[in-house]
Amino acid sequence: MKNDLMGLIFAENPEAAMGELTSIRSLAAVPFGGRYRIIDFVLSNMVNSAIINVGINTQYNHQSLSDHLGTGKAWDIDRKGNGLFILPPKEAFEPGEIRGGVDILNGITHYISKSRQNYVLVSDCNIICNIDYSEVLKFHVENNADITLVYTEIPMISTKELSTKIMLDVDGDNKIKDIQVYPIQQRTNASYMHMFIIEKSLLLELLGDAVAHNKHYIAKDILLPNLDRLKIMGYKYDGYCRKIDNVKNFFDVNLELLNKEVRNELFGKNNDMPIYTKVKDTIPTKYGKGAEVSNSFIANGCVIEGTVKNSILFRGVHIGKGAVVENCIIMQNSQVMDNCLLENVVFDKEVVLRSGRKLVGQDTYPMVIGKKTVI
Amino acid sequence: MKSKECVAMILAGGQGSRLGILTRNVAKPAVPFGGKYRIIDFPLSNCAHSGIDTVGVLTQYQPLELNTYIGNGQPWDLDRSNGGVYVLPPYTSAEKGEWYKGTANAIYQNIGFIKQFNPKYVVILSGDHIYKMDYSKMIRQHKKANADATIAVIEVPWDEASRFGIMNTDEDLNIVEFEEKPAEPKSNLASMGVYCFSWDVLEKYLTDDENDPESENDFGKNIIPKMLESGLKLIAHRFDGYWKDVGTVKSLWEANMELLDDDPGIKLDDDDWRIYSRNPIAPPHYVAPEAKLRNCYITEGCDVYGEVDHSVIFDNVTIEEGAKIEDSIIFPGAVIKKDAVVYKSLIGSNVVVGEDSRIGSNDSSANDFYINSKICTDDITLIAPDIEIGDGVKVASNSMVTDNIAE
Repeated sequence: MKNDLMGLIFAENPEAAMGELTSIRSLAAVPFGGRYRIIDFVLSNMVNSAIINVGINTQYNHQSLSDHLGTGKAWDIDRKGNGLFILPPKEAFEPGEIRGGVDILNGITHYISKSRQNYVLVSDCNIICNIDYSEVLKFHVENNADITLVYTEIPMISTKELSTKIMLDVDGDNKIKDIQVYPIQQRTNASYMHMFIIEKSLLLELLGDAVAHNKHYIAKDILLPNLDRLKIMGYKYDGYCRKIDNVKNFFDVNLELLNKEVRNELFGKNNDMPIYTKVKDTIPTKYGKGAEVSNSFIANGCVIEGTVKNSILFRGVHIGKGAVVENCIIMQNSQVMDNCLLENVVFDKEVVLRSGRKLVGQDTYPMVIGKKTVI
Repeated sequence: MKSKECVAMILAGGQGSRLGILTRNVAKPAVPFGGKYRIIDFPLSNCAHSGIDTVGVLTQYQPLELNTYIGNGQPWDLDRSNGGVYVLPPYTSAEKGEWYKGTANAIYQNIGFIKQFNPKYVVILSGDHIYKMDYSKMIRQHKKANADATIAVIEVPWDEASRFGIMNTDEDLNIVEFEEKPAEPKSNLASMGVYCFSWDVLEKYLTDDENDPESENDFGKNIIPKMLESGLKLIAHRFDGYWKDVGTVKSLWEANMELLDDDPGIKLDDDDWRIYSRNPIAPPHYVAPEAKLRNCYITEGCDVYGEVDHSVIFDNVTIEEGAKIEDSIIFPGAVIKKDAVVYKSLIGSNVVVGEDSRIGSNDSSANDFYINSKICTDDITLIAPDIEIGDGVKVASNSMVTDNIAE
């Protein structure tokens, strides 16, 4: 059944530091998990939650994202009247201009107001999880909330990791008592997942108010000042959840897919909520006579003649004879030729490593090789 | 309706009885092939790449799965506002309702469909071969020669020619004689069952054929001989690529195994001629530390903990620890449990093979109740879709298993 809920996704995240991986594409379009892009998770979750109207806010570099999403056919979201809308900014950045979530949403108020749905789900693109938003909406309506924030429980983490997190203080009635934006000290275990549900009219009202006061940020300028005035609730998501905002956690979270429980949960084997992505009509992967592969996650269209261990191979990757690839993430159509040695390395798309070369990164900080590099 | 220069009609109603239990619930063109495809993906993808955007698929036998698979034609780029793919089952009308009596009758019953597009040419294809062919080359030759009909032919080994419909041609490739399965063939050019007709000519011959009570309403047996008799211009179009009939369990097995050759006869990873299919929605496949994979095809959604050698594994198959798969084809969703051995077998979709069992056994103690020498030859064993084989069961080679075997 359809939901009275529309989705809005930010294709960028100012806190994310993905280096080379986002130099040619938006954060949302960063390849992940063998055949996906980061945005596929949030977008598929929305589709699986019967959301049929999704707007994607891009800021720059949206060519690769547009190419990936197309009309939304692969997500079954090419719908009459509703559907998938890519929403680039009306104007280019001015030097020194601040453009926070408030400014971005304020630029698309026309799209929001003409949408037919009564509720809006606003989400960042870089949250890897498998969540049913219809449950969140149900919670929102049942609790008569003004705003519902989705959060996940995390263990105690380092100050460095904390510096990109928004932590919530949630009371026994699931009401948010306090919000700490990028705190230095960890006071709670409730980490905001950068997803919230709000009634459309209230969102538009709050946006107008924030813009009139020259405010820019959703958490700091909309949620925090309204904690006493509005009923802001917290919905706890219990499943697997990771935020990707730097090269190290990008690398680690990819490799977590080698864990069976993570895969079954994330790819919806347990709840029939699969993750969709662009279809490429690649053939099955061919293993050669000398292939030695262990503990790896491998997409279609690869040709493997060498050794692959603890790695993620995207579609169409070639691993030559005698090559050894360990703890690596090799993106689409990259080629590792004969007798190469590769350890703790991320290859972006279409990288070619010529025969006999060696590249070794550290497991604490993997080496990233940019798109189309030939070594 | 906008006019189209060419409309393709795919004959997809055949049962394919020599595939045995594989076609109990599906028509032959819907039989899986090559790790992620169905046989019908080949003619449909060929149409898309040949610039033919209006395709009728004639279904009759067990059409549900095939119809669902084709859907709106989107995977083959055949969801068009003008044209696209149409599934055409037999229908009833005010006067009568009947099944498709033969290949020619199937087209005859859909004259109305074809006429909507007012085409100059109609291409007739069969839905049961594996090949990549540019039909536009054949149409070009047909136009250039100003022919009434053009028939695609392929050279077959002389000693096998008597199994085919053989075209005898002059040096200009004009067809002078057609012989169905001749005992002493005069040529080794076999008809591929791929025809291009000028529509006005074909419409007349189909109508005449329908009015002939003696006719079997078949292209090879009736329409082509009639055209030759009347002195029409029939030419042969030579095709020299890979072309394989996969109408028997043995040929289906062989065609899959040929994909694993060092230099396979048909290249499926051709960027300029991709074979489109309805892709399963599944994550990449996982290969466990204890798995061993040699010379095989593995598709997305699989979990491999055991050993696979010289085999084609479709999507979402689970191969548990200690299981061994050799010279086999495993269709989507099957589960091969711990320490089971599968040798030279076709394992149907969603089959469960129990622990420690053996499929394709030559041991005298093996279960030989299902041996079926009509369907299964050359030691190939076939397990029907959705069957469960219990723990420790040995199934004799050349079996076609159609029931669950508990022990």
